[in-house]
Amino acid sequence: MSEGILDDVDRRRAAARAMGGRDKLDRRRAKGVLNARERIDALCDEGSFLEAGLHAHSVMEADKESTPGDGKLTGYATVEGRPAAVVSNDFTVKGASSSLTNMRRIAHVKRTATLRGMPLIFLGESSGARMPDNMGAAGMGTLLGNDPLQYVRHRETPWVSALLGDCFGSSAFYACLSDFVVMREGACMAIGSARLVQLAMGEVIEPEALGGAAFHARETGAIDQMVKTDEDAIALTKRFLSYLPSAAGTPPPRAETAGGPATDLAAMVPQKRTRGYGMRRVVTALADPESVLELKPQFARTVVTALARIDGHTVGVIANNPMFKAGALDADACSKATRFIATCDSFHIPIVNLVDTPGFVIGSDAEKRRAPTKIMTYMTALQSATVPKFSVIVRKAYGQAYLNMGGGKNSDEVAAWPTAEISFMEPRFGARVVSPPEADEATLAAAEEALARGSEVWEIAGMFAVQHVIKPDETRAWLIDMLRIYGSSTTAAMGKRHLAAWPFNF
Amino acid sequence: MARHDAIAEVTGLVWKLLVAIGDEVAEGAEVAILESMKMEVPVYAPVAGRVVEIVAPESAPVEEGATVVVIEAPS
Repeated sequence: MSEGILDDVDRRRAAARAMGGRDKLDRRRAKGVLNARERIDALCDEGSFLEAGLHAHSVMEADKESTPGDGKLTGYATVEGRPAAVVSNDFTVKGASSSLTNMRRIAHVKRTATLRGMPLIFLGESSGARMPDNMGAAGMGTLLGNDPLQYVRHRETPWVSALLGDCFGSSAFYACLSDFVVMREGACMAIGSARLVQLAMGEVIEPEALGGAAFHARETGAIDQMVKTDEDAIALTKRFLSYLPSAAGTPPPRAETAGGPATDLAAMVPQKRTRGYGMRRVVTALADPESVLELKPQFARTVVTALARIDGHTVGVIANNPMFKAGALDADACSKATRFIATCDSFHIPIVNLVDTPGFVIGSDAEKRRAPTKIMTYMTALQSATVPKFSVIVRKAYGQAYLNMGGGKNSDEVAAWPTAEISFMEPRFGARVVSPPEADEATLAAAEEALARGSEVWEIAGMFAVQHVIKPDETRAWLIDMLRIYGSSTTAAMGKRHLAAWPFNF
Repeated sequence: MARHDAIAEVTGLVWKLLVAIGDEVAEGAEVAILESMKMEVPVYAPVAGRVVEIVAPESAPVEEGATVVVIEAPS
């Protein structure tokens, strides 16, 4: 073999790795934004990335030389020692727009990850369909719709999307199909750009308002965490994956544990029903040290959804947060809980409900937001989930919301603190309903007191609708016992994944 | 010394201030109670330190995210 041939290989490799050229790369660096290959390096174990398609380029004759990698870099690596597949969008090559070649690259690693059991990580930054490649009947016929599995996912392996710039088209769509989405401030996720919105709709809007990180974190719940830098986003990507198995056929990895925190839980939860408290603090106090990763903390804040570890086991915590709306579940909270249950059920993560809710938010706004159907979608998700489910009733548990939080037989095992109050509605309102319209204040007060007494934990424990009454400081030990008991059966706490094919938002 | 804000997580009225300037507080301690939508909602100290400023006195309305009390801590 002549040296010329081998030199040519080296020359071509270097050209491919140069991406869209020094100028574009320097401009990104000046802004403090990593380029596609630097992002891969930050994500993957050192030297582990093996690119599939280094020599790929556009199929358009005129673009062959100017499209190294064709704008989407794909391959395999190890992440924290575990095999994974990666798609890193290279915005310096035609804005990482979707084209025939790079769509093939994604499909290839997606298929491999799914069949061989590896997480798939999208490092997102893309401008949407490539122009003019996609234009006209020929463009559509060639580029779109030839892969009927492009946007099908049955959660066979975990997917994570990091949104690290303008994310239109594929980066947005894959994020909407991912188990975890982290977004950097300054990035924008939308169907199309603000510029296109103005052209097509006449709407003048800033990118931040159209699809910025704060907007998604607070309003849409389409992202799970908002961060300041690319590096932070990649660190969180790794952290999220550490809770999950690499594929659906195996249980989540068990972490080393350094024992439980020593916190006075009883002091953390005030007895008075109208007194709020930060439920996040309770979750932190129950979990292994530094093990809580809250998802969507700024969206639907009346409910906390968090991955955590208890005695090294991954659990999914769903907890009412009485800091907001007294912990009442609104329509967005139902969507948030439903989606989280689907993730837990797909990856064999036991569910821990911490209950302190006065019920569902009612009223005309709730009806407009389709609350009844969301409550039932949530209920169906909970009842269809076959992972172990536990509930701890901390304080209030009223009405249908009690059932959505696992009350009755909707969790495998229910424990209650002595502070639990279980009833159909707040005694104050219940007294009105059961008393005649002409009842005076004294009669109402007596009725309220009787109803409040009937809401105590001993009644429901006496009829075995609650299996355990535990002191706050016994909760962690109780959960460890439950995980052992439900994990030691022949099923090893593996679920049947009925929710794996459910959609990703509700 | 660095200043840290104890913030209101919800919009409401300051119902009770539980600290005064000069008080030492532990991380996570309640420094004030807000009244919001018929609920009493605590404001927690983000760090251990000394109260150096009361930004929102009792009965003052506060917006979500507003500072109620400022705490000074070594870092």
